[in-house]
Amino acid sequence: MIIRVQPGLGVPIYLQIESQVKHAIAAGALKLDNALPSVRKLAAELRVNPNTVARAYQNLERDGILRTVPGGGCYVSSQSPGLLKSEKLRRLRPIAMQLAVEAKQLRLARAELLQLLENSYDDLGEAQ
Amino acid sequence: MNDLAIETHALHKHYGDIRAVDGLDMHVPRGAVYGFLGRNGAGKTTTIRLLAGLAHASGGEMRVLGLDPRVDSIAILERTGLVIEKMLLPSMTGNDLVRFNRGFFPRWSDALARKYAEVFELDMTRKFKKLSTGNRTKLCLLLALAQGAELLVLDEPTAGMDPVVTDQLLRVMVEDFANEGRTLVLSSHHLSEVERIAEWVGIIDQGKLLLEARLDDMRTNFRRVRVVGEALALAEWPDIVSANTGEGTTEYVVRANADAFAAHLGSQGTTVLDVTPLNLSEIFLEVVGKGKTNVPVEVLA
Repeated sequence: MIIRVQPGLGVPIYLQIESQVKHAIAAGALKLDNALPSVRKLAAELRVNPNTVARAYQNLERDGILRTVPGGGCYVSSQSPGLLKSEKLRRLRPIAMQLAVEAKQLRLARAELLQLLENSYDDLGEAQ
Repeated sequence: MNDLAIETHALHKHYGDIRAVDGLDMHVPRGAVYGFLGRNGAGKTTTIRLLAGLAHASGGEMRVLGLDPRVDSIAILERTGLVIEKMLLPSMTGNDLVRFNRGFFPRWSDALARKYAEVFELDMTRKFKKLSTGNRTKLCLLLALAQGAELLVLDEPTAGMDPVVTDQLLRVMVEDFANEGRTLVLSSHHLSEVERIAEWVGIIDQGKLLLEARLDDMRTNFRRVRVVGEALALAEWPDIVSANTGEGTTEYVVRANADAFAAHLGSQGTTVLDVTPLNLSEIFLEVVGKGKTNVPVEVLA
């Protein structure tokens, strides 16, 4: 898996790493029990502070997406994070709101927005 | 043992009427990569010289690796790699300088010297005065790195370097410092490099530290809020850093609580256009840009 970070984005780099790992899993590029590069290796590759990578991995582990074997690397532990549904919805709500705002400003019809969302969801295939 | 590699309190350095360092309070945690940022003449190099014991402070307190530079300068320099002026003995070659430096540092490593000569693509048989500016910097870096220092202070390390070597140097900093729990203080005008590897940032202007915070906390808290028309004066909300009105919209930069701010504006009937994050370079300009008031900015942790 190739991770790319853009330091000048204003978005914390650990969040950029987290979202790319999630995306890779959702798209099926990373599968159950696949190994991720170690914190040191990924930090050196991305030229970012190792604590930043460690923070991303910790958050992903907390969400049940990764599992770390002490001294033995980091693996994909689940393809659908074992979160409560209410928690999943809570996390998505701000993104949904942003999408709704943009759609309204562009005067996109409700059905067209939903269609767009369905297409995006389907594009990720059966990896869920 | 103190968990700070560098600590200063009300540090002053005056040259006649000029206050090069003017009440500086700085805290560099051990094991951190610390971006020390400021405009030219802001006081960065003077601060570094004070910390190394190369200049005498006019007042205030400081500790480097737990030691006072005024008393233990030699002990500090044994454990600290310093790249400031990039001027060495001009007629010595790289290899001469390695032999010359080796004797001063108990933790010197020839293996590291060879490794960095390769990484930086340096001709070690060439005299210092015959090297290009970029290669002089690289040689100074090599000597500081091979010293095995637990604290490394680099003033503009990538100035004059091409992008390929800059990239190599970033990798060295991550692998050999950040990964090893050693402390790295880095002053640079290339804020996107700092943004990659620094965990902490200190912004100095006119000899004072105006902002010192974790970079992630800065990125999480600073927001630009754009609204229609003019809404609030600066004084009416505590977290506003700046406000600029033009072409029917006002841009606020807040240092914290952007959501509460936007909600407050909304409750007053103001239309909020968007709330966006700022990168390090934008935050830097907010703190020390032209026409700014030089007020310290506190960042929430």
